[in-house]
Amino acid sequence: MNWLYDSVEPRVMDEDMLKLAVGEQGPRDEAGQLARQEGILFKDVLSLRLDFQNILRIDSLWQFENLRKLQLDNNIIEKIEGLERLVHLVWLDLSFNNIEAIEGLDTLVNLEDLSLFNNRISKIDSLDALVKLQVLSLGNNEISHVTNIIYLRRFKDLRTLSLSGNPIAEEEDYKMFICAYLPDLVYLDFRRIDDHMKELAEIKHQYGIDELKQRENLTQAQLDDERAQREELEEHKAAFVERLNGSFLFDSMYAEDVEGNKLAHLPGVSELLQAYKDKFVIICLNIFEYGLKQQEKRKVELDTFNECVQEAIQENREQGKRRIAKFEETHLLSLNAIRDESEVTNLEMKVAEHSKDITELFDMLMTLEMQLVEQLEETINTFERNIMDLVALFIENVQSLMAQCRDLENHHHEKLLEISINTLEKILKGELDEDLPYDVRALFVDKDTIVNAVGTSHDLHLLKIDNREDELVTRTNSWCSHLVDAIHKDEIMRNRRRVKEIHQYVDHVQNELDNLECSEIID
Amino acid sequence: MEVLKEKVEEEEEAEREEAAVRAERGEKVVRPMEVRREEAPMTQEMLRDLEKKLSDIEMAIPEKLSTFTKDTIDISKLPLSYQSNTLKEEHLLQVADSFSRQYSHLCPDRVPLFLHPLNECEVPKLVSTTIRPTLMPYPELYNWDSCAQFVSDFLTMVPLLDPLKPPSHLYSPTTVLKYQEGNCFDFSTLLCSMLLGAGYDAYCVNGYGSQDMCQMDLTRDVCPLTVKHQEVVQEEEKVPPKKYAIKPPRDLTSRFQQEQETKKLEEIKAEEERRLREEEERLLDVEKAKTDPLHGLRVHSWVLVLSGKREVPESFFIDPFTARSYSTQDDHFLGIESLWNHKNYWVNMQDCWNCCKDLVFDLGDPVRWEYLLLGTEKSHLSLTEEEEDGLNDDDDVENLGKEDEDKSFDMPPSWVEQIEISPEAFETRCPNGKKVIQYKRAKLEKWAPYLNSNGLVCRLTTYEDLECTKTLEIKEWFQNREDMLELKHIDKSTGLNVDYFKPGHPQALRVHSYKSMQPETDRIMEFYDRARVDGLVKREETSKTMTEYYRGRSDFLSYRHVSFGDRVKKLSLNSAESNPRPIVKITERFARNPEQPADEDVAERVFLISEERIQLRYHCRDDHITASKREFLRRSEVDNKGNKIVMTPDMCISFEVEPMEHTKKLLYQYEAMMRLKNEEKLSRHQAWESELEVLEILKLREEEEEEHRLTISIYDTKRNEKSKEYREAMERVMHEEHLRQVEAQLDYLAPFLAQLPPSEKMTRWQAMRVKDECLSDFKQRLIDKANLIQARFEKETQELQKKQQWYQENQVTLTVEDEDLYLSYCSQAMFRIRILEQRLNRHKELAPLKYLALEEKLYKDPRLVEFMKVFV
Repeated sequence: MNWLYDSVEPRVMDEDMLKLAVGEQGPRDEAGQLARQEGILFKDVLSLRLDFQNILRIDSLWQFENLRKLQLDNNIIEKIEGLERLVHLVWLDLSFNNIEAIEGLDTLVNLEDLSLFNNRISKIDSLDALVKLQVLSLGNNEISHVTNIIYLRRFKDLRTLSLSGNPIAEEEDYKMFICAYLPDLVYLDFRRIDDHMKELAEIKHQYGIDELKQRENLTQAQLDDERAQREELEEHKAAFVERLNGSFLFDSMYAEDVEGNKLAHLPGVSELLQAYKDKFVIICLNIFEYGLKQQEKRKVELDTFNECVQEAIQENREQGKRRIAKFEETHLLSLNAIRDESEVTNLEMKVAEHSKDITELFDMLMTLEMQLVEQLEETINTFERNIMDLVALFIENVQSLMAQCRDLENHHHEKLLEISINTLEKILKGELDEDLPYDVRALFVDKDTIVNAVGTSHDLHLLKIDNREDELVTRTNSWCSHLVDAIHKDEIMRNRRRVKEIHQYVDHVQNELDNLECSEIID
Repeated sequence: MEVLKEKVEEEEEAEREEAAVRAERGEKVVRPMEVRREEAPMTQEMLRDLEKKLSDIEMAIPEKLSTFTKDTIDISKLPLSYQSNTLKEEHLLQVADSFSRQYSHLCPDRVPLFLHPLNECEVPKLVSTTIRPTLMPYPELYNWDSCAQFVSDFLTMVPLLDPLKPPSHLYSPTTVLKYQEGNCFDFSTLLCSMLLGAGYDAYCVNGYGSQDMCQMDLTRDVCPLTVKHQEVVQEEEKVPPKKYAIKPPRDLTSRFQQEQETKKLEEIKAEEERRLREEEERLLDVEKAKTDPLHGLRVHSWVLVLSGKREVPESFFIDPFTARSYSTQDDHFLGIESLWNHKNYWVNMQDCWNCCKDLVFDLGDPVRWEYLLLGTEKSHLSLTEEEEDGLNDDDDVENLGKEDEDKSFDMPPSWVEQIEISPEAFETRCPNGKKVIQYKRAKLEKWAPYLNSNGLVCRLTTYEDLECTKTLEIKEWFQNREDMLELKHIDKSTGLNVDYFKPGHPQALRVHSYKSMQPETDRIMEFYDRARVDGLVKREETSKTMTEYYRGRSDFLSYRHVSFGDRVKKLSLNSAESNPRPIVKITERFARNPEQPADEDVAERVFLISEERIQLRYHCRDDHITASKREFLRRSEVDNKGNKIVMTPDMCISFEVEPMEHTKKLLYQYEAMMRLKNEEKLSRHQAWESELEVLEILKLREEEEEEHRLTISIYDTKRNEKSKEYREAMERVMHEEHLRQVEAQLDYLAPFLAQLPPSEKMTRWQAMRVKDECLSDFKQRLIDKANLIQARFEKETQELQKKQQWYQENQVTLTVEDEDLYLSYCSQAMFRIRILEQRLNRHKELAPLKYLALEEKLYKDPRLVEFMKVFV
């Protein structure tokens, strides 16, 4: 297929080759002169052309981080590789190579134009990451099956497609099929699709498309549902009360409880259990609602805090900007004055004066910053106190509700025990009317066994409740401490940045003055 | 003014009497005969007293009041209702007479009522029937303010003949409209008619006004147009301090010192205020008029609009002369005698010692307002009189119908014709389309649209002094200008002219303020930036600079300031256009481009062209207080080897907030500089284009000022020449079409068919005869016509020959003029002869054709065709 393949020795993609290409394709004339002087870093290159180089293996491209356009056509590449780092790539040309499968393009999310013309590809896949794809050229390949075209339906921006020269293009229905299944396509095989054709194709393949659409819609709806559910769960998790809006906790209590389930077969227990469950679920719901409410409160608190802090910072920033603007006016004037001054004594005086101005500015800016730091610290402390209080209140209330759960459990346990002992007595006396399953009856051998069984079940239940409570409390506390830490850290970072900025600016201004002085002295 | 002088006791007494009499009057009104009988028991003395008073009153009324006297009004053309009274009206007048008599009897101190003055035909008419509620067909006249403005503009004010008495005549609104003149009563009657038609609860008021008001003297009033709109200071809503708002830094200044300072400031302020006040008082003293000796006695008539209808929230007065509204507590209104609308007439029984301030306009209250007719709709203004009143109300409603049947007497319909204002009159508004109002330190002139050729409709001249000698500023309003000029404001003290334009000027001009039309002088042009491609909002010019403000540009340019240097003297005699001033500096500012990071988004760009420097200032990052800066020196230098230095590190001085690696590179800087060079060229070009545009606009403005063409709506059929022509052409075409149709319908057989005996079937023979006759007749006509032309031709030739003979005979004695005359006659005659000859020839050519055509037609005529067929 590739006439170069046999005749010429394959070349290795190495540093020299890349350097040469970059140098050749870089800036020209005066700019080129400069570029040669300084050298060009690979990461500054935006576009690179490497055609007719007999490259067999793509390599050494990892430095071109900002590359937008890469041409590797007319080589003897067999496998797409080594392009993972080129995430900004928009245009990729791999035509006239020996590629057999599409691969290695999963990180190129910005790719819009992909050319794989004249290769040996037989299947279109592994393009899922290329959501921005607009132009796809796959002519002169070995694609033969129509499912490949249905695969292309996921690219919403795809407007240009070429598939001529593939076995699939031999089919008589080829054009119609593509027009019908890719209705947003504008150009097919370098020709514009006319509207009439589109209509015809649509009519012809209506059934197939409708079915496909139906299926797609269903999947989409399912995905949406799942996402909505996930989001809801996330929201509940943020409130630390996930899965408390139902019988989940109660069910989990009985999920591993063998004895409890066995005892449910006793007469009267099922009713008891039902009543117990109802009450338990109500309390769970209470916790859930309370949790959401508290979450809302915390959110409002946090929002107000953020808003206020932002306002304060903004206000401070405006002040700083005003000061600097004012200073800059005088700065320019005095620099000019110093430049024009010829008298040495006067000059010195002016320089000293200006230095004083600079120091003053520095002091002023630093004072402003310190003031802000103090103010913010106070506010942050207040907020910290309040949020802690809120969290503590929340935990306390949740704990009291959990205690109710425990009381219910205890109550239930007592009742169950009573029923069990009664049953045991009945069994011992042989008065029991109903038939009990064998494994249940096995529990009723003596008092210890049954008490133990009931006790185990009870302990398990209590453990579940405790676990849930512990989880809630720890997570709430950790959220709180994380939040406070983050706020402190942010504030410190902000302070550092600002101080650094002020220093830098003042240094710059001082430098300007010093330079002027130096040149004066030299003159 | 008697009302004012009335003692309280007297009034109370009068009221008591009134109340007593009123109880009976319900019946009296309907049966006036009985009234007289009942009055009979009055003592002789009382009667004499009354008679005397009545005679006094009659004598007091002057004969003629208005300036446009009866002679000028053509009574004969007025409809019958103007010239006589109907039975019902007669009846009503009797009722009114008796009411008036009772009133003057019961309130002898008060002036007689203004109840039934004479109309233009010397017929007494009740004032209420003179009101003719009419809704005008113009949407502009739907609201009270525009109505009042119209009345005040449309009519010329004529003062009352005797300012202390109501007039003896009250003309109909139609007459008043026709002559566009009237006194205050005419004004208010017309206005009231219009307001009632528009659905307002309006009343004519007969009362007493201040001198200024009665004489329509506005010279002590501030012109409403000069009053600057008080800027409503929006009270900034105090945001409650948020929970986490930071505390302000501790204030370390001495409070005592601050207090002392504020005290000092306050003192100075107080001093200043005092001075200002004194000044004002002094001015006021100067302005204050001499006190009017007739204060409180001058009769005036105005309009009262009560709240309730048309969403009027509060009752108010309208002075029909000035069209201004006043609150009912205004000082200008000194008292009310009576008021009326088209349904009833009420006499004020309240004391007017405190002007109109204490009056209660609850016309349903019989103690305060004595009504003429019972049972007609009572206006209840305030229903504050407790539940009892509410209960009574219900009863009233039920009883009302009964009462109506039994006792009430309806006001007869107005005798006045429908009030009509022609569209021309409505547009012209003021008599002759011009009106001048003198205000305090201001003069307002109004013109009808299209009256002035430059579209001027209103001019307000403000003066510095009360005598109106020193002009302060002139404001001129225009309408229908093709250049969309709306307002021209000339400030005489500063010499500043400001022109305001409506949207639609060819250059999208909005405001143009200038001192002279000379280019390169101080001026400000504002534009409708959305109508301009470049988004220019404003361009300010001084002799050395030009500043432009932009909005909504895709390159985010918001401001450009260009400084010019002195023009370089060129030897060649070039105009200003070809020798632009050198640009010294261009400053451009850009709005933040959200798509670029702040460090790469230029905020300000300064091209110091003479110094070959370019300064850049970038936008400030959101969380920073300093912004990056960069300065390029554009000097191209040559190193010691003679090679051109492309770029050296010291050609670009930069300060970066966050130092970055790639910007340090010379290549980057070189590219940036190249870009800036191009941009500089572009900016210079744009500045130059702006200058050209200014010149162009100035030229255009001058042209427009000279031409001042007016636009005419295509719907304005009177003024729009084009549409007029078109319409006339259409009419002509229609007319011709009509003529042609008539001709086509001309029945050439009719005269011959008519000769046949009617209602008999035509025989073939007859048909043939008809045809032949028709043809022969036509032939005859053709021959006649030919003969006629021939005869004329011959006559003309003969005459010409005669003339020629005469000429030849008298050729020697002829004067030059006679010869000229002869020659012109000859040429004309020759022309006529030639034409006649041509016509004859043409006729000869066409005659056989026409004959054949008729024959053909006759063959095909439906009435003859069957016979012809057989014949053929």
